[in-house]
Amino acid sequence: MQNKAKFQDKNTGDKKIRIWDLPTRIYHWLQLVLVVSALGTGFFAPEWWLSIHVWLGYGIVALLVFRLAWGFFGPEYSRFSSFIFSPKILIAHVKAIKAGKPMHFFGHNPLGALMVFALIAVLALISLSGFINYGGVENLGAFAGFVDYATGSSAGKIHLFLAFSLIAMILFHIFGVMFESKISKSSLTKSMIDGDKSVPEGENTPSLAPKLLVPAVISIAGLGIVLIGGSIFMSKVPASGFINMPISQTYNSECGDCHIVYHPSLLPKKSWVILMDELEDHFGEDAYLDDETAKEILAYLTSFSAENWDSEAANNLLIVDKEKPTQISATPYWKLRHAKIDEDIFKAKPINSEANCEACHGDAKTGRFDDVNIKILKAKDKTN
Amino acid sequence: MRKLLVILSLFIFIPAMVANAGPREDILAEFAAQAKADDANFAGFDANRGKELYLATFNTGKPETPSCTSCHSTSATNAGETRAGKAIDPIAVSKTPDRFTDPKKVAKWFRRNCKSVIGRECTALEKGDFTTYMISQ
Repeated sequence: MQNKAKFQDKNTGDKKIRIWDLPTRIYHWLQLVLVVSALGTGFFAPEWWLSIHVWLGYGIVALLVFRLAWGFFGPEYSRFSSFIFSPKILIAHVKAIKAGKPMHFFGHNPLGALMVFALIAVLALISLSGFINYGGVENLGAFAGFVDYATGSSAGKIHLFLAFSLIAMILFHIFGVMFESKISKSSLTKSMIDGDKSVPEGENTPSLAPKLLVPAVISIAGLGIVLIGGSIFMSKVPASGFINMPISQTYNSECGDCHIVYHPSLLPKKSWVILMDELEDHFGEDAYLDDETAKEILAYLTSFSAENWDSEAANNLLIVDKEKPTQISATPYWKLRHAKIDEDIFKAKPINSEANCEACHGDAKTGRFDDVNIKILKAKDKTN
Repeated sequence: MRKLLVILSLFIFIPAMVANAGPREDILAEFAAQAKADDANFAGFDANRGKELYLATFNTGKPETPSCTSCHSTSATNAGETRAGKAIDPIAVSKTPDRFTDPKKVAKWFRRNCKSVIGRECTALEKGDFTTYMISQ
């Protein structure tokens, strides 16, 4: 095994050495693809791409699991132990660069090694904060049953901050690679593709520790089982943002005759009280109900008003418009989230109005309003 | 032969009598009684007046709903749509057979919709004419 790593280039006769084995190289480029895709979907894709973004996150976690195992049981230069440098060497390395006489390292140089550890740490934290955000705010994924909205929301802010940090680090990484390639007169990018580096004149070919495939596979499988099994197990816990709500036939039929049956969590208690008090002037129509029916519906709505839920919609719709406290589409949150949608789309058939949540939110009835369930209908009337 | 005629006539009249005693007729009868109480000269309901009422445009109700046809289709036999986008079954009895059979529903919707469209509750005469028109459609 060891000797296979060293060989002579057929064309140039240069002494070459295999630094990055195939799994490490595949890992590197796959990670590039997944991270760029995750950043792209995170920053630019519409809400309903969220499930793709999350799957990219699962992919990144899988890569990190491999990298962790390979960091202990991979071949020489993939092992963490091969690129943990003392501060002394780090300082010497920087000084040598400044002096224009860079030191030679076969694997990661001390500065590059710092970046590798930082990237792995940030990717791990970005994944964790992402899944906590997904669980707390969206009430989906492994953390749905364990994280409340406020925590999930904070995790989302950390996730965003880490994403910006990651972009900065990637730029630094690319700069470092270009710089090192220039001063070492060998393309680091090329060696991450073919895996090889030249052995400089006068440099001894190092003895290389081989990969330990069995422990590597066992630890990948072990970590995989723990993560996948744990996630599945945790996902069984019902989402913490939602409570059990009985179905009210009275509410469903009396209110649902004219419009979609709005989930009681979509307005605060005080708004429902006002709304039920003003039924004779109900959004431009008379929607009078006899006292008994109105009382029953009011009790139902106020028992399950926004205050009683920890969902994304309920948390944000607590703040209503001062002038129109009963209109969900007048709330600041509703306006913010629908700001990018053309008004014509709302007016077009079969949507008709902002009041028709179900037209685009397939799960409106449940009060979930998951990003992944948004489907913006094409405005059919627009061209007519 | 006479026997046969009697049996035949039973087949014709019994179903007619049963139909006459249906909930729709009860509702109409109640409108008629009220109409008579309102105006001693009441001489029955008229589908044509009902049709006029259905198609009329008012400016006394809520501006969003100036006419019955704002939500119900301009034809009683077509499906309509609420302002919020929910489909409304055709109001004509021939298309939606259970129309005007539940007195509670009839009272609820006449009250709401007359107030929305006309700005007041409808008279028994208007309700009766309207119902008669829808039965004829």
